[in-house]
Amino acid sequence: MLPNSSSDNVAVAGNQTPAGNWSPQQQTARMLALCEAQMEAATQDSDAAVDTLINSFSDLMNLARELNAESAHSHGDTQTIKFASEEEMKQRYQKLMRQVNNAIIAFQFYDKLSQRLGHVRYSLSTLALFVCDRMNSQKPEHWDKLVSTLGRLYRTAEERAIFDSIAGTLAITPNSEKPKPISQTAAPEGSIELF
Amino acid sequence: MPSVILAVDDSASMRQMVRFTLESAGYEVVQAADGVEALDYAKAGNADLVLTDVNMPRMDGITLVRELRNLNNYKGIPILVLTTEAGQDTKMQGKQAGATGWIVKPFNPEQLLATINRVL
Repeated sequence: MLPNSSSDNVAVAGNQTPAGNWSPQQQTARMLALCEAQMEAATQDSDAAVDTLINSFSDLMNLARELNAESAHSHGDTQTIKFASEEEMKQRYQKLMRQVNNAIIAFQFYDKLSQRLGHVRYSLSTLALFVCDRMNSQKPEHWDKLVSTLGRLYRTAEERAIFDSIAGTLAITPNSEKPKPISQTAAPEGSIELF
Repeated sequence: MPSVILAVDDSASMRQMVRFTLESAGYEVVQAADGVEALDYAKAGNADLVLTDVNMPRMDGITLVRELRNLNNYKGIPILVLTTEAGQDTKMQGKQAGATGWIVKPFNPEQLLATINRVL
């Protein structure tokens, strides 16, 4: 966590004007805190997906071992295998498919991780250019514009939730256009809507 | 003859997951890495359903839907959008462009197949 940049530390800044303790350095720290929060959340989600993958593969390996052991026991007696385990085979197939489906869902983490890190990368490079431009970075209204522009990058439900929770601390001028919180109306993961 | 599904996504891993899911259910899958590639295929051949991502280089998914709806042989076929985009605004853009439905990633294989069966 960046020093003096957590959302707790900057929570009161939303209602402050440039006449308060606003400074380009504080604002930069807040923007970096937002990027850090996005990266942390993306990494945590990816860790959870990898755990699911490990569990799925572990279960698949166990099933494969069980099948191998039973086939060795039957000594090639295919009739025994067929009649003793038809129902069991069905259950095993269903279990196997459940694990495959879980793995397919978890595998999609990479796509989402790439997208989320891409947004953070773009935010950081835009911020770097912005703070190097002294004319821009000294004007609060230009910061508002930057926050608004970068806010449009974060479009997944998770990204929006993080952005919305920090966005209040990023608005500077009294008339600044507050980013619209959309996470409450955002569709949840896996949702399907036919038009 | 199996139904042909055109799967459009710039992520190779996503295309693999979609292909694996659809082929295991008996569909034939044609892949495209962006809207331009998908449109090229669509102009030359027919698909029974299109499944497209939104954020892609060269041509995004919303533009692709709009372009496909301008082609005579794609006016009536189902076009499903499969995306991480969860906001109502983008979804409305997709609807207005002519999409049949909106699926938020990550997809559940069983639910994806059930939806495809429903709209085909």
